[in-house]
Amino acid sequence: MSVMSRVALLGRAGLDTVSSLGRSGLFLFNALLGRARFGNGFALLCKQLYAIGVLSLAIIIVSGLFIGMVLALQGYNILVGYGSEQAVGQMVALTLLRELGPVVTALLFAGRAGSALTAEIGLMKATEQLSSMEMIGVDPLKYVIAPRLWAGFISMPLLSVIFCVVGIYGGALVAVDWLGVYSGSYWSNMQNSVEFVDDVLSGMVKAVVFAFVVTWVAVFQGYDCEPTSEGISRATTRTVVYASLAVLGLDFILTALMF
Amino acid sequence: MTDSSDYIVDLQQITFRRGSRLIFDGVDIRIPRGKVTGIMGPSGCGKTTLLRMIGAQLRPDSGAIWVNGQNIPELGREQLFAARQHMGMLFQSGALFTDLNVFENVAFPLRVHTELSEDMIRDLVLLKLQAVGLRGARELMPDELSGGMKRRVALARAIALDPELMMYDEPFVGQDPISMGVLVRLIRLLNDALGLTSIVVSHDLAETASIADYLYVVGDGQVLGQGTPDELMNTDSPRIRQFMQGEPDGPVPFHFQAPDYLSDLLQREHKR
Amino acid sequence: MRSRNLELFVGVFILAGLLALAVLAVKVSGLAPGSAGDTYSVNAYFDNVAGLTPKAKVTMSGVTIGQVTAIEFDKMRYSARVDMVINSKINTLPADSTASILTAGLLGEKYVGISVGGDDEVLADGSEIYDTQSALVLEELIGRFLLNTVSKDD
Repeated sequence: MSVMSRVALLGRAGLDTVSSLGRSGLFLFNALLGRARFGNGFALLCKQLYAIGVLSLAIIIVSGLFIGMVLALQGYNILVGYGSEQAVGQMVALTLLRELGPVVTALLFAGRAGSALTAEIGLMKATEQLSSMEMIGVDPLKYVIAPRLWAGFISMPLLSVIFCVVGIYGGALVAVDWLGVYSGSYWSNMQNSVEFVDDVLSGMVKAVVFAFVVTWVAVFQGYDCEPTSEGISRATTRTVVYASLAVLGLDFILTALMF
Repeated sequence: MTDSSDYIVDLQQITFRRGSRLIFDGVDIRIPRGKVTGIMGPSGCGKTTLLRMIGAQLRPDSGAIWVNGQNIPELGREQLFAARQHMGMLFQSGALFTDLNVFENVAFPLRVHTELSEDMIRDLVLLKLQAVGLRGARELMPDELSGGMKRRVALARAIALDPELMMYDEPFVGQDPISMGVLVRLIRLLNDALGLTSIVVSHDLAETASIADYLYVVGDGQVLGQGTPDELMNTDSPRIRQFMQGEPDGPVPFHFQAPDYLSDLLQREHKR
Repeated sequence: MRSRNLELFVGVFILAGLLALAVLAVKVSGLAPGSAGDTYSVNAYFDNVAGLTPKAKVTMSGVTIGQVTAIEFDKMRYSARVDMVINSKINTLPADSTASILTAGLLGEKYVGISVGGDDEVLADGSEIYDTQSALVLEELIGRFLLNTVSKDD
């Protein structure tokens, strides 16, 4: 009978997943649509933009710099064998704009801002702040959740763009100042092969999609968690894992569609 | 009394299930106006759930909840918003908003429900803080307060709109004797001074019995008994007696379900 | 007040993001303002355009003077028709100039290089470049090489 019970367990797990997807869909719908009755929406948004966006700048800039530099280093090592080391500029730029920029930013964002969001909202749930807000008559979805969602949607694409730029300049630092690639060829080869619409904007599209998914997962996991300390820690882990997997999976799909 | 206007809250035939557990099975509870009513019972019997149902955070599976002539589960969004203005709830942990200071916390309900000027709001907030004795703490952040102080600020916030009904969810849990004394005094004082009706949900017998005018004892999904504290102290029902006297063994057994003691011990010897 | 600082930081953040986008547009992808317009179009027919793509550059003496706009197969002439636009300032190209499909570096992309001819007439909007040289296809080169080697052995 253990086979049957295992199948039953699997079935229940499947149903749980589907029902939690449904909950998260309704959650998103209710949080985004409809105006909040109370609260200066702009001030709340600003506060979250600071907490989520501005405070993530440090990790994004440092990571972008190092990734750009490593790309230039490795790229140079490979290309110099073909005598094409002037192409290192376009290699760094295209890699960052099309793939690494949006993806790495999303992963870092999920780890830093996403987990912070989940923990914060989970803690508010555990200390009954959300309930008391409801009792006073303020919808926590509109007052607490919606500003955080919008802040995530807005900040992540901006962070992704900053990441790319920092990476490209980091690559220039390594390639031009250290490895001796001619500055003119670094930039002109790059300009010749990077298309604004195809490369930059497609990267932005990816970043926007990732922003949506990561923020949604982070905020929902916090809202839906068990209101105990164990529940919060599990929810935070789930956020990072689910968001990262979703980003990587979507990256493949989007790349196949766009490129 | 059959005159329903004497009861501010009237719970009729409430049934509530959580998962497969039946928390309430056709429960009737009436809260008299202007009095302090205690709802007591063992842990996990669903007392907090009752408060949440009155506050419309949870919906009963069946039954009606009449508050001031309105059936709460059937109210629309707008009506619920208006109804909540007349209810205040003190949560177990205080539930202060951690990103606002004491003043802003107490001002919150005022800003949500009214359009009063900043001066008026300031006056009202100071008034409420004075009532709980924390007017001097108004600039502090919640994490700078002790547990007892947090609850008092939460109380000030709950009465900010001068509600008619105050609900206290386990207010005495984990309090030192001084804070306990303060809270007990405040609940009774506010009730009488402001003409409130208070519902205190607790399993702290002594404190609740000392201020309640009427008590309900809830357990096993039903009302086990009701009456004034004196009546319940001298009750015949063994279950209520066990609860009121704090007896370790009785209708709620001391021993968790286990096989026969002697055979359990002997079995272990043989397993070697 | 705390909120003023906050708003300031957020504003800086958003500005930085937009600035980064602008840098990407201009410095990285070479999107120059007003690069559209002020061009005239010419076309050329090639036997083999292997690897040439639209938006490839059109150069003369190594300097970019235009862009490939379209590549289509012409079923009447059984060859590939390449449409290009050339900067209007370069309006003295002789009508017998040669258009060749060249490769930029070993891994580089294909582009169109124009070598000057000697005719008095100049290319105007819509004219065709008659003298063309198709792209070098590796297989043909190898085939020719092998053929030469074989015939030499005879």
